[in-house]
Amino acid sequence: MATNTANFFSSKSLRALYVIWYREILLYWRNKIKVFTSIFLPVLIAVAFGTGLGSILEFRHLPYNFSQFLYPGILGLSISVMSITSTLSIVWDREYGFLREILVAPVSRSVIAWGKILGASTVALIEGILLLFTAPYFNLVLSPLQIGEIFLVIIIFTLGVAGLGVFLTSFVSRTESFSLLLQLFIAPMSFLSGGFFPLNSLPLWLQNLARFNPLAYGIDALRWTILSGNLSASQISTFTLHSLPSCIIALLIFDFIIILLAFRAFKK
Amino acid sequence: MTQKTNNNILEVIQVENLRKHYNGTYNGIMALKGISFSVKRGEIFGLLGPNGAGKTTTINILTTLTPPTSGVAYVNGYNINTKPDKVRASIGLVFQETTLDTHLTAEENLYLHALLYGVNKKDFITRKREVLKLCELWERRKSPVSQFSGGMKRRLEIARALIHFPKILFLDEPTVGLDPQTRNKIWDYIFTTKKQKGTTIFLTTQYLNEAEVCDRIAIIDYGKIIALDTPENLKKMIGGDIITLRTTDNEKAFAQIKEKLPQCKIKRIGKEIQIEVATGEEFLPSLIKTITPKILSLELHHPTLEDVFLELTGRKIRENNTPDTEDIFSFNLKSFLALFKNNNHKNTNGH
Ligand SMILES: Nc1ncnc2c1ncn2[C@@H]1O[C@H](COP(=O)(O)OP(=O)(O)OP(=O)(O)O)[C@@H](O)[C@H]1O
Ligand SMILES: [Mg+2]
Repeated sequence: MATNTANFFSSKSLRALYVIWYREILLYWRNKIKVFTSIFLPVLIAVAFGTGLGSILEFRHLPYNFSQFLYPGILGLSISVMSITSTLSIVWDREYGFLREILVAPVSRSVIAWGKILGASTVALIEGILLLFTAPYFNLVLSPLQIGEIFLVIIIFTLGVAGLGVFLTSFVSRTESFSLLLQLFIAPMSFLSGGFFPLNSLPLWLQNLARFNPLAYGIDALRWTILSGNLSASQISTFTLHSLPSCIIALLIFDFIIILLAFRAFKK
Repeated sequence: MTQKTNNNILEVIQVENLRKHYNGTYNGIMALKGISFSVKRGEIFGLLGPNGAGKTTTINILTTLTPPTSGVAYVNGYNINTKPDKVRASIGLVFQETTLDTHLTAEENLYLHALLYGVNKKDFITRKREVLKLCELWERRKSPVSQFSGGMKRRLEIARALIHFPKILFLDEPTVGLDPQTRNKIWDYIFTTKKQKGTTIFLTTQYLNEAEVCDRIAIIDYGKIIALDTPENLKKMIGGDIITLRTTDNEKAFAQIKEKLPQCKIKRIGKEIQIEVATGEEFLPSLIKTITPKILSLELHHPTLEDVFLELTGRKIRENNTPDTEDIFSFNLKSFLALFKNNNHKNTNGH
């Protein structure tokens, strides 16, 4: 590690970082299905909530608007899925040989791993931006400052998720097995993410389990930033498990650990 | 540039006692059992060997993709163990399996490669045109690689490996699985590159006729180098050329040769006389002058590398050789090589 950090910020490494990143974006752009789904989901939401699905979801006994509760959850889960599935390209590259072309280039491995993580995070950010366009259908008002905060949260959040993806890729050599492995991870993590129902309504042992789920912190952080224009802090705290600062700290710690693990796994 | 200091190294690749042990489920495999050789600047060096001999392993070690178990190698003057980045910046590599990004177009593949190796934009634009024209893919540069045939992909890969002006080009079985025409094209391309840029070429092959056109070859078998020399010298090791002769009076001719040309070995096989001699071409005129009976047929057969491999290992290099494709191929290559050698005086062949 130490020897790499010395020349990591050289222009050569930055250029290589740019190449890997650029290719991720190119791949996303070429993948018509992926581009389609990332546009389709916001459109679907706009149509559904624009035509009154929101009112069906209004539960009288809740002290808050349920569709507003739901919105950051949908956003958080979609960008996580987008981010983690982007790392699939590593497995694909390994299976079809392109990874060797990169590995034999005069570029350090950590730069390659960083390029993949940043690429996945960028694609997730694009998805996040597309989804933010549907905010008015939830009667959400977003100030420019809030949008900046949301972007930051998305980046901090998806870096870790992408890191998790890169880490997982080192355990599989075939594309199909990776998809299966992802489902194995994504399903329980989404369930315990608080995306669809407030985590503090769960039994205590499940709540404790959710404390180890990075998605839960990401989605709570998104709730705090997205809803702060509409709801008061005390209202938001009724359906979040963690406060915003603890979310950010937890996400940063998670990013640090998982990216380190991803590097180590990628190096072998 | 530090590279400058390495420009006058004569031996661009030096390999000293490389060993590679793969840990396997049972006892593992000793894929390389201590090989040593060196490659001179500007030569085409071939590593010839059957399946599983250790050719790819050697290339992977020299290109820093796999660490050796023991031993050391210098590529362009840099130690592969301690300066892998420098080594990788000096080389171009075409893998045995294709490593193109099939999602992208030919041009994009070249562009990403150029960026990875830090070729500047201006150089890239001229170079791209040059290599794409050379490998006859200029018209297809905007097509996705997924629509390319095997031969086109191979040509594009070699083109890609040349984009960054490597000092040494490694080719792992560059023509395997291709038809004779495509193989010829790829070889034309390899020769042109060598000639224009003075690139050193290190290649592996299972095809004997391809090994034939290398400046020097190392024959590798079970992880050991069992012979290393120019193809000509290796074949001389066999004991020279073979002349098969039929005359109207074999008895008389036999006696005459025995008496007047004592430098050759002579045998009678059925209705033919077989003569083994060091250099057949020089021997033929005196042979024709010596014998008085009328010559019905005369055939000069040079020993092939197949004979060399057979002599060294007692086996054929490949079970099922395909002579039909090889014949067309070796003929074209030889004439091409003859042309090439005349233009470019070299000392590697010793004559
Ligand atoms: N990653 C690996 N793990 C274990 N054994 C390996 C590995 N790679 C190669 N080997 C073994 O090492 C030996 C040499 O393999 P290598 O790929 O170098 O042969 P090769 O000469 O390139 O053969 P081919 O002509 O088939 O490409 C073989 O016995 C092979 O099974
Ligand atoms: Mg091989």
